[in-house]
Amino acid sequence: MSIFCLGVNHKTAPVEIRERLAFAESAIPHHLKEIRGLEVVEEAVVLSTCNRVEIYGAANHCEKALDQLVEYLTKHFEVGDGDVEFYRHEAEAAAHHLFEVASGLDSMVLGETEIFGQIKKAYLTAQSTGATSRRMNKLFQQSFSVGKQVRSSTRIQQGSTSVGSAAVDLAEKIFGHLEGCRVMIIGAGEMSRITAQSLKSRGAESIIVSNRSFDKAEDLAEELGGKAIRFDEWADYLDQVDIVISSTGSPHAVVNKSDVAKVLKRRRGHSLFLIDIAVPRDVESSVNDLDNVYLYNIDQLQRIADAGVAQRHKQIETCRGVIRDFLSNKGIDALASEPSKYTERGDSNHP
Amino acid sequence: MDKIYLILATLVFLGGFVLAVVALRTGKYQTGRLNVGLAVLGLIFQSLFLKERGDLHMRCPLTNGAEVLVFISWSVVILYLAVGRAFRLSLLGVFSMPLVFLFQSFAIVSLMSNDPGARPPESLDPWLEMHAAMSLLAYGAFGLAGIAGTMDLVLDRQLKSHSPGLLFYSLPPMKYLYDAMLRLMLIGAGLLTMGVVSAFFMATSPTALHLTVLGAVWLVYAGILTVNVARGLRPKSLSKLSIAAFSFALIALLVI
Repeated sequence: MSIFCLGVNHKTAPVEIRERLAFAESAIPHHLKEIRGLEVVEEAVVLSTCNRVEIYGAANHCEKALDQLVEYLTKHFEVGDGDVEFYRHEAEAAAHHLFEVASGLDSMVLGETEIFGQIKKAYLTAQSTGATSRRMNKLFQQSFSVGKQVRSSTRIQQGSTSVGSAAVDLAEKIFGHLEGCRVMIIGAGEMSRITAQSLKSRGAESIIVSNRSFDKAEDLAEELGGKAIRFDEWADYLDQVDIVISSTGSPHAVVNKSDVAKVLKRRRGHSLFLIDIAVPRDVESSVNDLDNVYLYNIDQLQRIADAGVAQRHKQIETCRGVIRDFLSNKGIDALASEPSKYTERGDSNHP
Repeated sequence: MDKIYLILATLVFLGGFVLAVVALRTGKYQTGRLNVGLAVLGLIFQSLFLKERGDLHMRCPLTNGAEVLVFISWSVVILYLAVGRAFRLSLLGVFSMPLVFLFQSFAIVSLMSNDPGARPPESLDPWLEMHAAMSLLAYGAFGLAGIAGTMDLVLDRQLKSHSPGLLFYSLPPMKYLYDAMLRLMLIGAGLLTMGVVSAFFMATSPTALHLTVLGAVWLVYAGILTVNVARGLRPKSLSKLSIAAFSFALIALLVI
């Protein structure tokens, strides 16, 4: 008996195909039962995320099992024969693929950690449905070890990969954690909303929204659970916030050095982080010269994100090295031959 | 044997620093597990050195400049392990190691070239022992605050430059460094207060110069903490003050 993997991901199939093949979360146990009911499939785990649909399994005849699964998927999800090209991996290649997926090497955002939780969830669902046995249990346990090892011994997670995450990472470098951090948005644009949501997801609160059109400010404030203020009032709140996101359509600077310098004394030494994502820029660049005031514009954030992505790409080979070392030192447990019941009992003399 | 322990401790700290720098450059620095292990090993050798010297003098081993430097280094390491770890400041240990290495190297050179040997007291004065030990433990806390201040300035520079380097991702957040600086200065000021108070109970009164210098150091730190409570010092100002104050305290020690 050996292990296999069949699937599509964001590299091999467009979203139109992935969305058709996506398993509804609540229906996965039912599908697992059906897959286990196929003639040669002994064990199965379904991993279905927005970027991939993969089925891992164990069978005596992998080639036959893979053919049956393709037939099952195309029939069940009504995908035409030529519409989708599934990748197929068997034995060590299947394990290697799962280890790369668990390490975030196969993700759209290289090194992201969400996939690790998604694999865990997929495995637990399969386990609770009774679709896993010795081989899948061993394979997935090993994938968790490898995933952890890759993340802890390389820089695959280091650095930001988007403007939003760069802003959040910088904010955390200044304030430690963002719980209780107060945010003000000047200009209720889309980028402001996305950045504020990133900050909010990490614990930022008390979001104040200021916009030339008060209605728009109210809408965004409601969406973010914050408070709307008139555009001419934002300067009055500058001493009460830790982070300012500015994204107005103004042709000239909205936040001047003198505005910020004025409130610094009232801030009693608290740092201020200004994120200027407007073009033309909203915040005078000389604001960055003030002590404990940190100003980043869209290009500077983008450069950090680009550097982060490049840094992660440089780590791919190191990560693969960790996986290769793991495999050469420990091997793949799921591929080990079945222990006989006598040796399992330690009764080696039994005929 | 005492000098062997001191050399071993110094080599351990040097090794710890080199390993940490290599790990930081290659991105394999992992919240200082190895670093903490080496700090503990170094602390053991430092403690063995101080014990041997204590046995030699039959009192707290603070009879010459070399021993004072080792005692301050010991205080820095023990406070890093006690305080730095609690505030998730593992890199504080890496930044402490060059200072400890420097102090102990001076101590080794001094002891190798001219070891004054045993200096047992005519009579043991517990207040004198208390005064010396508390004052130098305070120096350890002040030294560590100065190191946290240095780290804060490095981080500030990286943030202002808009191009974070490799070290950026391993440095603790500014808020943690600011809190650590304040707490370490507060701990140091408390210990120094005990040192100053115990000086008044010593069998032989300290010289006026000794008390004046010690009082000046106490006033500097009490002043920084008071201004911070009254007006709220900016992190960058506090960092600069923590470095300047420790430099002043070291010069004051030389005067004594």
